[in-house]
Amino acid sequence: MAQRDRTLTPPFSHPRWRAWPGRAVALLLAGVVAAGFSGLLAEWQWRAVSDLWQSAYLRQVIWFSVYQATLSTGLSLLLAIPVARALHRHPMFAGRGLLLRLTELSLVLPTIVAAFALVAVYGRSGWLNTALDGVGLPFRWNLYGLQGILLAHVFFNAPLAARILLQGLERIPANQWRIAAQLGLTSGPLWRTLEWPALRRVLPGLAVFIFILCFTSFAIVMTLGGGPSATTIEVAIYQSLRYEFDFSRAALLAMVQLLICGSLWLVASRHGTNRNLVPGANDQPGTLRRDARRRDRVLLYLFLVFLALPLLAVVFRGLPGLLGEAGDSQVWWSLGRSLSVALVAAILSCSCGLAILAASQLARHSGHHLSARLLESSGHLTLLVPALVLGTGLFILLRPQLGQPHQGLALVAGINALMALPFVLQVLRGPFATLPPNSLRVADQLNLRGSYRLRWLLLPLLRRPLLLAAAYAAGLSLGDFSVIALFGSPSAPTLPLLLFQQLSAYRIEAASGTAFVMLALLFVVFYILNRWGDRRRRHPASRRLAAGEHAHA
Amino acid sequence: MLEFENLRFRYPETERVLTFNGEVGAGQCLAVTGPSGCGKSTLLNLVAGFLNAESGTLRWQEQDLQPLPPWERPVTSVFQEGNLFDHLSVQDNLGLGIHPGLKLSRADNAAVAAMLDKVGLHGMARRHPTELSGGQRQRVAVARALLRGTPLLLLDEPFTGLDPDTRQILRQLIRDQREQGAVIVLVSHDASDVESLADRHLVLTA
Amino acid sequence: MARLLFLILLTLSASLAWAGPTLTVYTYPSFVSEWGPGPAVKQAFEAQCDCTLEFVALDSSVAILHRLRLEGESCTADVVLGLDANTLSDARQTGLLAPHDIDTSAVRLPVDWQDDTFVPYDWGYFAFVYDTQQLPDPPTSLDALINAPENLKIIIEDPRTSTPGLGFLLWMRKVYGDQAPAKWQALQKHILTVTKGWSDAYFSLFMNGEAPMVLSYSTSPAYHMAVDNTDRYQAAPFDEGHYLQVEVAARLRNSPHPELARKFLQFMLTPAFQREIPLKNVMYPAIDLGDELPDVFDRLIEPSRTLYFEPQTVAEHRKAWIDEWLNATAR
Repeated sequence: MAQRDRTLTPPFSHPRWRAWPGRAVALLLAGVVAAGFSGLLAEWQWRAVSDLWQSAYLRQVIWFSVYQATLSTGLSLLLAIPVARALHRHPMFAGRGLLLRLTELSLVLPTIVAAFALVAVYGRSGWLNTALDGVGLPFRWNLYGLQGILLAHVFFNAPLAARILLQGLERIPANQWRIAAQLGLTSGPLWRTLEWPALRRVLPGLAVFIFILCFTSFAIVMTLGGGPSATTIEVAIYQSLRYEFDFSRAALLAMVQLLICGSLWLVASRHGTNRNLVPGANDQPGTLRRDARRRDRVLLYLFLVFLALPLLAVVFRGLPGLLGEAGDSQVWWSLGRSLSVALVAAILSCSCGLAILAASQLARHSGHHLSARLLESSGHLTLLVPALVLGTGLFILLRPQLGQPHQGLALVAGINALMALPFVLQVLRGPFATLPPNSLRVADQLNLRGSYRLRWLLLPLLRRPLLLAAAYAAGLSLGDFSVIALFGSPSAPTLPLLLFQQLSAYRIEAASGTAFVMLALLFVVFYILNRWGDRRRRHPASRRLAAGEHAHA
Repeated sequence: MLEFENLRFRYPETERVLTFNGEVGAGQCLAVTGPSGCGKSTLLNLVAGFLNAESGTLRWQEQDLQPLPPWERPVTSVFQEGNLFDHLSVQDNLGLGIHPGLKLSRADNAAVAAMLDKVGLHGMARRHPTELSGGQRQRVAVARALLRGTPLLLLDEPFTGLDPDTRQILRQLIRDQREQGAVIVLVSHDASDVESLADRHLVLTA
Repeated sequence: MARLLFLILLTLSASLAWAGPTLTVYTYPSFVSEWGPGPAVKQAFEAQCDCTLEFVALDSSVAILHRLRLEGESCTADVVLGLDANTLSDARQTGLLAPHDIDTSAVRLPVDWQDDTFVPYDWGYFAFVYDTQQLPDPPTSLDALINAPENLKIIIEDPRTSTPGLGFLLWMRKVYGDQAPAKWQALQKHILTVTKGWSDAYFSLFMNGEAPMVLSYSTSPAYHMAVDNTDRYQAAPFDEGHYLQVEVAARLRNSPHPELARKFLQFMLTPAFQREIPLKNVMYPAIDLGDELPDVFDRLIEPSRTLYFEPQTVAEHRKAWIDEWLNATAR
């Protein structure tokens, strides 16, 4: 019995199983990007390069992209840090669960629904101005312009940031809090000694991530920007590619974007956002914090209102349409299709994420730090490279297989999975890097490798982040309409596509109903996956033992 | 017999270098003592294969251990804490000592149940480690080490902070193993542990 | 879990087998949606062609052109349906399209249509749709709009990313010529915002009551009147005339079924196809439907003048005019 385990080779335990799946994903992504650029560069003209510094328009576009993204990132983080601290100080806060679900929701909202929701609350005739009128204030909030862009970006990104920063705070070992409590540290010293050092490790990566999200934000910037001066690089790429057929300019702008965002990304990852993190004993809701204050609750309630109001607007507008929709089988079929696509996308995305992390960890352990960083960066390519360029690349790579439109949904699931990969990695990276070291050593010694390691160690230990990552991936896929339209969709629509079809047929009320269904679905997906993650699950093996015990009693 | 000769280790961050020399034969227990930071745990981790030495030799029964990964070495480690997987039941934690995929035969299950009785945890198989006291957790860890039955046991402060009863039981179990020919390397601050178990001493200096 | 995944993949990739040749038509999504003309057109054409009609919906009419350029010679589509007068020059330049070779004498457009490649299937005017409850007296001309009190706000789409946006740019150009940039500057104070596409403008903003006027089509009220039974949303007739939008189809040179493609283009100009256009594509039919034209179409505005640039002119000047607009407005 004793010798058996050391001669046994667990399935998939050869190191290539750690290295190659991740490398394959990275190669696929690099291939897509390369194909996308090569597709554009086929019509390359050098004139495009000189345009870059000669055209005042392009200079202005690049400047504005950087400017608004920097401001948006700063504001999002400025709001997220106090919110994360307040959430950490008040583990028993009454609306905590709801607030956490809402923080996850705003990011995955399809832009057209988000724009609709923000306008309903903060628009010219929105709830805010109605309220201001109601109390007789002469002041009116004007949504359109830089302030609108910032509001939207804070609405999307501050919740995500707060969520990730909260994870960072929760990774501070409980003992350190106990000591701090004994020393009677108040808010300021606590920040300096415990919170800032913990957040400092997460912040660079997070800031760059948000910067890229804002930098590449497109439809919402145009809608709320108020005019053509609010133009980001993505708009210029879209314009060059779709309307002017100036492929070299599109390729060049895409490269500028890749260069700006990519180099920021490399700088942030060089700062070792995930090294030396304290091992994660992260479920200790009863953390000893003596610095809880009433104004934290006020902040949390305000934040809750900030997130909930726009979503309520979608609900109110959607309810009447929903009654009409309920009888329409089309919406339920679309819902089914959306869910299947989202489920497949979530599973694929989490698998790709784990594969990349495993491969990069292996590379790092073998001392190949550069290739480890490149592997992880590849997972973010879908964020750095404009969707239209990716679409072109995918199209060139996949065209032989594109004969049948019926394959559309499977393809969409696959592409959604790649699009969600940056978010999945963002959620998984920290927990993956901070698995308890003793557990890993014991696992090595016990020959817990390959599929056994996945089954008995990684999946259970990463259960919560994995389910959160899956929820993000599913949510992004549920709200996606760009990919599905890129390849030529079959006549069977998913929910977002249905929404657009209803809109272009002037079925405004039905469209509002569909928006509501989509929002409700997103909420349910996040709620269920989170509940599942929180549940303490007893292992089936313990039941097996029960039988064994009886046998030997 | 475990031998290590001029076994050099360099800490990657501080560039500090440690060199270890020693040997311990079958049925013996080597106690490693010395002040904090002198590299006691490092030695155990080198033997277990969690760390790699820069140079020197490390042999078990004349066989060079250094090329072997941790799972191929005839070694079981017991740390002061963190030995158990909190997400798995006691039964599964022990079962992993027999088969890493938890594919257990009826006889294997019987062995697990018997081992639980032996360490005084009868009926606790379905509990999770978080539901046990520190002493009980350490009993499970030692039980798993015995179930694996590797000829080399590495104990890193295994009894620190445990109640006297548990200490007594665990010490007895270790002595039994030693008498059956196992080789034991023990790192401990506790003079009574060392006194009651050790045949040989290795004193490290900072 | 593995079994569940397998089942889902199986369902997703399940494909159907068909008999007879398949005619592949690239189009935009709203054409093939449940409420678009696609399903009825498919049924009517398949009843007489002994073939399968397959629509592939790309994300917009510009995306159709983009796809053509990407696929080049290897394009397997037979027909493209959904290009407009502003993209057809570029489409012609790809060299992938073939002359239609059909009788187009039935075509009735406000302008004389002579083109050997592109067959129009519907048309309409760009117009500002306004909310009668918010704005009882809308401006009656572009001039009146420009000179209206500052608190009159309108929502327009961006000419760089949307068809109506480009239509309005051409409209301004046609009316004001070289004066257009100055007029854009004067109009600037009325523009609440410039959205990426029609859906954002109409749904997210106009339907939220953000502004009483939105750039859309003169036919938009038809749907509200016929199906929603409300006269609340109307198009404002402008004295200078309205810019024309024509949607066209063409067949591909490398089509595996050239004869079938020709048959489809001919079918497009019959009542069986055209009667689906007015309420399902919410545009004017390209032939005279007589009594079959829904009554609400009689209640739409009838512009005094039709404004129109030849496609060639648009292709030549589009970039310069967009730059001009940017210079005038992006301050």
